[in-house]
Amino acid sequence: MRTLTRVAFAGLVLTTTGCQFFASKDRDVVQKGYRGTAMEVNYVARNQEQAMAELAKKMPAILPPAGESPPGPLPWQNVQVLNDIPVAEFNRTMIAMATWVAGGPGNCAYCHNLASFASDTYPDGKAIYTKAVARRMIQMTRNINSEWTEHVGNTGVTCYTCHMGKPLPNGLWFYTNENQLLRHYLDGAGARVVSHTVSPSPENRSSVKQTEWTYALMITQSQALGVNCTFCHNSRQFSSWEQAPPQRVTAYAGIQMLRDVNTNYLAPLAGTYHPSRLGPMGDAPKAQCVTCHNGVYKPLYGFQMAKHYPAVWGTHTDWTTPLPPAFTTPPAPPVIDTAAVVADSLATPMASPASPVVPPTGR
Amino acid sequence: MAMLSFERKYRVRGGTLLGGDLFDFWFGPFYVGFFGVTTIFFTALGTLLIIYGAAIGPTWNLWQINIAPPDLKYGLGLAPLAEGGLWQMITVCAIGAFLSWALRQAEISRKLGMGMHIPWAYGMAVFAYLTLVVIRPVLLGAWGHGFPYGIFSHLDWVSNVGYQYLHFHYNPAHMIAITFFFTTTLALAMHGSLILSVTNPKKGEPVKTSEHENVFFRDFLGYSIGAIGIHRLGLFLALNAGLWSAICIVISGPFWTKGWPEWWGWWLNLPIWR
Repeated sequence: MRTLTRVAFAGLVLTTTGCQFFASKDRDVVQKGYRGTAMEVNYVARNQEQAMAELAKKMPAILPPAGESPPGPLPWQNVQVLNDIPVAEFNRTMIAMATWVAGGPGNCAYCHNLASFASDTYPDGKAIYTKAVARRMIQMTRNINSEWTEHVGNTGVTCYTCHMGKPLPNGLWFYTNENQLLRHYLDGAGARVVSHTVSPSPENRSSVKQTEWTYALMITQSQALGVNCTFCHNSRQFSSWEQAPPQRVTAYAGIQMLRDVNTNYLAPLAGTYHPSRLGPMGDAPKAQCVTCHNGVYKPLYGFQMAKHYPAVWGTHTDWTTPLPPAFTTPPAPPVIDTAAVVADSLATPMASPASPVVPPTGR
Repeated sequence: MAMLSFERKYRVRGGTLLGGDLFDFWFGPFYVGFFGVTTIFFTALGTLLIIYGAAIGPTWNLWQINIAPPDLKYGLGLAPLAEGGLWQMITVCAIGAFLSWALRQAEISRKLGMGMHIPWAYGMAVFAYLTLVVIRPVLLGAWGHGFPYGIFSHLDWVSNVGYQYLHFHYNPAHMIAITFFFTTTLALAMHGSLILSVTNPKKGEPVKTSEHENVFFRDFLGYSIGAIGIHRLGLFLALNAGLWSAICIVISGPFWTKGWPEWWGWWLNLPIWR
C-alpha cells in the first residue's frame, strides 16, 4: 500500500512538473473583464508575431513626404475629388494608390488613359470604369475617416487597409438570396433575436432559423477579427450593453459604418462597374468586416498608415460629387428589393436600423 | 453515539499512513486519523476565509457571494489578499481538504483490508478540480484562469470560457464527457431498477436472486453483464465522465485557442471528399 501511495504522490508531482514542461509560452490571453469572469481573448502569440512579420514584409513603405508644390492654380484638368491638396501631394497619392490597389507604383494604366491622364475614357471612347470607381472610393475613404471615428479611431483607413495591393479586396460579397445573412450589412435587417421576457410571448416571434442566422453573422465577425465571443460580449447576457466590453460599441459602430459604406458607396456603383465585376444578380460587390480586418482585430495590427497621407483625410465638400457616369453598356438594373423583409413568415418585427451609434442604454 | 453490535470487531488498530497511533481513534461513528484532522483543519480554515471574503465583498446574497481569482497580470505569483489572494488561499485549503479526504478513505480501506477503489474513484473528482484550478492555470501561465468560487459567478465563468471557444459543444472531449455522464445515469437507473424489481416481487412471491437478474437481461438484450460486471461498468463510466471533463477543459486554451467548431476542419478536409 505504501508503494501505491508513493506512486500516487510521484504521479501528482510528475503531472504538475510535466505541465510546466508543456507550458506553452506562445499562448497569449488578454483579460477583458473583471477577474474570474473569463472575459478573455486567446491568441497564439507565435502565430500572431509570424503574421505581423509577414505583413510588415509585404506592406509597401510609406512614401517620402511630397516636396514643394509650384504656386498657382492646379495645373490639372478634370480633377474632381482630390482638388483640395497640393500638386506634389496629389502626385504622391497617385503613386501610393497604384501600389495600394493596382499592384505597383508604375501601374497608372489601371485607372488612366496613358495618352491623356485627364480623360475619363479610353482612346476608343469606352469609359474607364476603374477611374470612376476610384473617385467614389476616395470619397468613401474620406467619409470613413471623418464620420466614423467611433469605429476607425484616429488610425483611419487608406486604400491599402482593404485592398492590400490587389484590385479586389478580400471578402467581397453579392446577393445570393433574400435570406442571406450578410444583407444585414446592407439593408439593416435586424439581427436581434433575444427575448426580454421570462416566458414566450407574441412580442418576439424569432425562429430558431433566425437565431442561427444571427449566430452565423456573429461568427463571420469573429473570424474576420480573429477574436472570440467574449471580445465583445459577456455571455451571461449577450444582449446586455451594460455587461459588455467597450469593444462591442466599436463593433456596433462598425456595423453602422458598413451599412453606410455598402448603401451609399458600394451598391450604387452597380451601373459603373464592368459587368464582369457584378454578382449573379447584377449587384455591385459589397464589403463585410473581413474586407478591412483580414482576420485581425485591428486592421494591419493597428499600423497607422493613413496619418502619412493627407489625401485620405479631406473635407466633406466633395461628397456632393455626383455618382460616376454609367458604364457604357450598363447591365440590367438590379432586381433586388433592398427593403424586402426577411422571408421567414415568423419574422420578428425588427427595429429599423438604429441610427445612433451609441446604444439606447448607453454605457 | 451508540455503536452497532457488530461494529466493534472492525474497530482495529493500525493501517494508518501517517501519524501512527496518535490519531487512530473514532469520534462517535467517525474514524478520525491524521487525515481526518487535516480535513477538519482545511475545511474550517477555507470556510472561514470564504466568510471573510464575503464580509469584505459587496453582498451577503448567497447566490452572489463571489471569491474571484486574481487578475491575469499576477501570473503564477501571489496576489494581494483582497484581489485574488483569498482565492489562492481558499484553493490551497480546498486541495488540502480534498486530498485529506481521499487519504482518509485510503486509511479506512487499509484498516479494513479492502481495495483502494474508493479513494481512487473519489480521486478522479479531485483530479478534475485540480485540472480546473491548478493544471490548466499553470499551463496558461496565470492563476487568474481558475474559476471563481460563487454560485452565479462560477456559472458566468463556465459560460464565458465556453464562448471563448465559440461553441463548446463542438469540443470532442466535452462530447465524450457528456456521453459518459448520461451513460452513467442510464446504467445506474437500469441497475437500481433491476435490484428493486427482484427484491419487490408480488405479495406472497419469494424475493428473486441473481438468476432472475441475469435471465431478465439475457431475454431482454441477449447478454447479462453480471453482478460484479455491472459495478465495474458503473465505475468505468463514472470515472471516465470525470476524466474526460478534465481533458475537455485542459485542452481548451493550452492546446487549442481557436473556436471548437473549427477543430472539425480535419473532418471536412478528409481526402475522401475534400
